[in-house]
Amino acid sequence: MEDQPLDSAEKEGVSRRLFLQGAGAAAAAAGISRIPGEVLAEEARSREITELGPEAEKITLKVNGSDKSAAAPPSTTLLDFLRNDLGVTGPKRVCDRGSCGACTVLLDGRVVDSCSMLAVDAVGKEVTTVEGIGTPDNLSQLQKAFIEKDALQCGFCTPGMVVACTAILNENPKPTRDQIRDGLCGNLCRCGTYQNIVEAVESVSRTGGK
Amino acid sequence: MRPFKLIRPTTAKEAMEAQKGNAAPYMAAGTDLLNRIKEHVASPDSVVDLKQMPGMGTIESDGRGIWLGALVKLTDVADHEEIQRRFPAVSTTVRNAATPQIRNMATVGGNMCQKPRCWYLRHEGYPCIKNGGTGCWAKDGENEFHAIYDNQICSATQPSNLAPVLVAHDAIIEIEGKDGVKELTADEFFIGPSEDPLREVKLDQGEFVRRVLLPASTETSLWAYEEAREKQSFDWAQASVTILLDRGGRKGDHRVIFGAVSPAPLRREDIEKKLDGSDDEATQASLIVGVGANPLSHNAYKVPMLQGLMRRAVRTVRSREEG
Repeated sequence: MEDQPLDSAEKEGVSRRLFLQGAGAAAAAAGISRIPGEVLAEEARSREITELGPEAEKITLKVNGSDKSAAAPPSTTLLDFLRNDLGVTGPKRVCDRGSCGACTVLLDGRVVDSCSMLAVDAVGKEVTTVEGIGTPDNLSQLQKAFIEKDALQCGFCTPGMVVACTAILNENPKPTRDQIRDGLCGNLCRCGTYQNIVEAVESVSRTGGK
Repeated sequence: MRPFKLIRPTTAKEAMEAQKGNAAPYMAAGTDLLNRIKEHVASPDSVVDLKQMPGMGTIESDGRGIWLGALVKLTDVADHEEIQRRFPAVSTTVRNAATPQIRNMATVGGNMCQKPRCWYLRHEGYPCIKNGGTGCWAKDGENEFHAIYDNQICSATQPSNLAPVLVAHDAIIEIEGKDGVKELTADEFFIGPSEDPLREVKLDQGEFVRRVLLPASTETSLWAYEEAREKQSFDWAQASVTILLDRGGRKGDHRVIFGAVSPAPLRREDIEKKLDGSDDEATQASLIVGVGANPLSHNAYKVPMLQGLMRRAVRTVRSREEG
């Protein structure tokens, strides 16, 4: 096992991601000293002084249209909560400093860097990740355009790019090239596929879809 | 990230009690504070989240001008029609800040109170006069983005895009403190290291910004904001020039404010006096830009950069007069 841990795990059909999720859940179960009921959303709405954490609390968020709950310390960022606690792994953790945009999600329809805000600050709001924009069986017009225009290379920035491009088109269905570039200034693509990404947005804009 | 307790007060008294002598920092959106915790340059056991505080989340106008709540997001300032019409320099500078993602999260108060972007200050391995050590690593180190004026104690620049334009408009900062609400001018609020090397803004223990007033008495259609940076978008300014002419319709009531070249926004009264409408005013103004500058080993370029921005800003502001 110690010689080839990854190989043996893969042979048994356990992916690295599933393994890490399992390990995380076990650690979390051991470390949680209290999990209050569904109080968080209520507390956020009422105007009482609230003290949360530092231990794990149950946090319920509306993600891609459905309520999802998990226990996590209130100091958990929205990105880490989505990925590590809810298993929503579309948003990517790259810089973790609000500089690269790989973690971009929509919060009530607006783009935010999910790495640079707390999960508890998304309570009561609609969180949309790339998973909520289209599925492999039912791609959005923009996702189809990404494939058609070859708008990705390594693909790591792509979930954030798709979310940011969707927001650009939601706000303005006929953006100019400069408006697209300006709208994408918070999303880095280190492969340098910007031109094809801009073309993908323009092609959707021309056909009037999203 | 190091876990912390999150305290969410709903009254000023609760906020100040929870803050306990600066041990628990105030937080609005957290775009700056969370990064500093991740970088281990802040390690609070508790954080006081001000987002549940009432009366700090709206933009309202009255006879004195337009009030920006400290919790208003930068996007909502940039998109606000009345601000675009009455205080276009404010809309423009805010729209130039950061990225759409950050502008959708970051708040007015947080933008004003963010810590400087000095890479030594934000690295746990470089204790300096601002964070428990002595001296300034940047002065003899990597200082290409640092201050060229007032840079002897600490050479970090004020990073807020809002700061220079708030000073130009004589904005009033409404501060909640232990004796109730008080008001400071933006010029009094943003301070340099000679006044206090540990702070960039004049908030005493327990105090926080409630609202910011853009005074009607400083409205003008004659404005310019010119900024230089390494990238076309999403970058901090290397230098900026804000000009307001004939504020409130008063002839000769000008402001020239430099940003990103000193620890606090730098007002240049000597340059304001050169803006007299003469044919060579842009040249006369740019000629004295370097007065008082003391560039470090890697940032002397900021002097000619500011001179260029100065000329451009004078041309911009005069073109609005003709138009």
